Amino acid sequence: MPAAIGGRLDGELLVGGCQAGRDPQAQVARRVGIVFQDPESQLVMERVDDEVAFGLESLGWSAGEMQARVPVALADLGLAGFGRRRTARLSGGEQQRLAIAGALAAAPGILVLDEPTANLDPAGTRELAARLAAMRAVRSTTIVLVEHRADLVWPLADLILALGADGRPIALGTPAEMLERYAARLAGSGVWLPDSFVGRAGDPAPPDPREPGRVAGAPLLEVRGVGFAWVGGGQPIFRAVDLDLGEGDRVALLGPNGSGKSTLGRIASGLLRPTTGSVRLAGNDPARLPARELARRVGYVFQDPERQFVAATVRAEMEAGLDAAGRAGVAEVAASLGLPLEAFGERSPYTLSGGEQRRLSLAPALARRPSLLVLDEPTYGQDRHGYDRLVDFFRARLGSGTAILVATHDPRLVADLGARPFELDGASSGVVAA
Amino acid sequence: MIAVRAADDRALASPLGRTSPVAKLVLVGAWVAGLALTTDPRPPLVLGAVGLAGAVVLGRVRPASLVAGLAPLVFAALTVGFFNALLNPANANPAFAAVTSLGPIRLTAPAISAGVALSCRVGAVAALGIAFGLTTDTTRLVDALVQQAHMPERFAYGALAAFQAIPRLAEDLVALREARRIRGLRASWHPRILVGLLVLAIRRADRLAVAMDARGFGSGQRTRFRSVEWSLADGVLLGVGLAVLVAAMALGRGA
Repeated sequence: MPAAIGGRLDGELLVGGCQAGRDPQAQVARRVGIVFQDPESQLVMERVDDEVAFGLESLGWSAGEMQARVPVALADLGLAGFGRRRTARLSGGEQQRLAIAGALAAAPGILVLDEPTANLDPAGTRELAARLAAMRAVRSTTIVLVEHRADLVWPLADLILALGADGRPIALGTPAEMLERYAARLAGSGVWLPDSFVGRAGDPAPPDPREPGRVAGAPLLEVRGVGFAWVGGGQPIFRAVDLDLGEGDRVALLGPNGSGKSTLGRIASGLLRPTTGSVRLAGNDPARLPARELARRVGYVFQDPERQFVAATVRAEMEAGLDAAGRAGVAEVAASLGLPLEAFGERSPYTLSGGEQRRLSLAPALARRPSLLVLDEPTYGQDRHGYDRLVDFFRARLGSGTAILVATHDPRLVADLGARPFELDGASSGVVAA
Repeated sequence: MIAVRAADDRALASPLGRTSPVAKLVLVGAWVAGLALTTDPRPPLVLGAVGLAGAVVLGRVRPASLVAGLAPLVFAALTVGFFNALLNPANANPAFAAVTSLGPIRLTAPAISAGVALSCRVGAVAALGIAFGLTTDTTRLVDALVQQAHMPERFAYGALAAFQAIPRLAEDLVALREARRIRGLRASWHPRILVGLLVLAIRRADRLAVAMDARGFGSGQRTRFRSVEWSLADGVLLGVGLAVLVAAMALGRGA
């Protein structure tokens, strides 16, 4: 446990005979390597080899030892030859493997991974899972994986410890034991179970996947020949994209990181002007609509709720931009999101828990009932209960005629919304799978 | 998207790229101090030209990237000089004849030469900054500041990590402004945007500090993966550079 974390530690935590939280950090760092969720905000150095060496320098390795060790640590994670590359230019998956190489360089004995795939696309996740499986086979390092995603955990783990909402342990066992003995308890606490198991033992809420939608109601959004390139950024991210949404329709934007899913969502919602092509939202160019008009028609849910808060309190956040009639309905919106104003109204949005922030970020979609709702990775980091709640929310919006455009890596969400998949392959135009 | 102009590998492998960043920093500092002490346009022209020539010849910087980096700054320097000349109190002094005038606006010779000198100085400082930036690797600069200038490690490596986060700060700003527009609020500017930026920056800094601590940063004697040693080239660079400074200043003094 790094000293920079505040809070109180009860009891005792012994790591290889050394007391975490009490003994000097270097002693703990020699025994434990940690990899965090967000690959970008844990990288310190500009170049890959310096990044791997950073921890070794802190632990006092000699220059000769480091010169020998760094290339080996990189090769172990499939990054041979990456030494002089700039860390900022790597893909998310490569950055995450670099973070692991940096943590493992000092041969710590224990590797702690904190939701290492939360920000990765499916390809990055597969690569990482393959590396972890290879490390498990060698059994040179104890791996502690903190993770929501059951399909990643179950095949890799020898032992699983499930924690309840209050942080207390609720079950401990091998993967097989966990399913045999504790499945009901785990499901009841919102712990994800592997897909292969779901349905077999009466999963509590397997929401019946909808039939994939077709353009249903009246045309709402027309995207024609849209391409986008950053000014001075050279190659377009995508070109010549055509996309139609009707009222109450739903489309999932799929593709690797960097393929422009979020960018296309921002173009569709009038936040960004396309470089080429045109966008029509019920006949208007959304990028030219005055902000008040745009807000009435489009809702946008950001991946990181903290990037979308505009006010100092939960109440002001919910009232922002609404007219008098809208403000009168805020108490009801708050209650239905599980954030009653009596308890939450005067709190700062930034002090809410992750799940509460996610629910607060849905308030505009509920208060304004826009005709188009654009979602950017809305379910990431959610436990089973949080996920089910979100799906219920989105389905209710679909039921009342709102169209949904969602950028996501989560195939379960695509199925649960009955969304048409729209692949952005990272080079050219999007392709609608039939 | 903000493009941070960085030195390319060719420039970093050049003679100027391999000298100690601290030596270059000291020299640039001395030249800038010298420029601050003169009002003559010739020293800045000489020092700016020598700096750019050094970047191209000794630093193997592509002239195109030099021009691309310098163009907006030269424009800024000319603008600053022009307004300085326009607003110079000498224009109101009837003792000086007007070189040119437009209605009540007069431009006198002393005002023009003051404006030209200022433009030259601002332009020269910009040229030196670009020449330094395009021949210096950020990591090596920080390594050199720690090893040769004995800057505290926590500050230096913290600043390096913060520097890497600048592009993400720009992305945060875009997102916060978009969030306001999609809520029907005035997007252009509002104090809440600053609060949001601050919160996001602090969260990120927290995560980075924890990640650095977890790797044992600052918990003991640090060793060096890349050592930066003083070399003969650093001495030559400093010696020749200071001689050029003295010569350029003498040129100004002699006028």
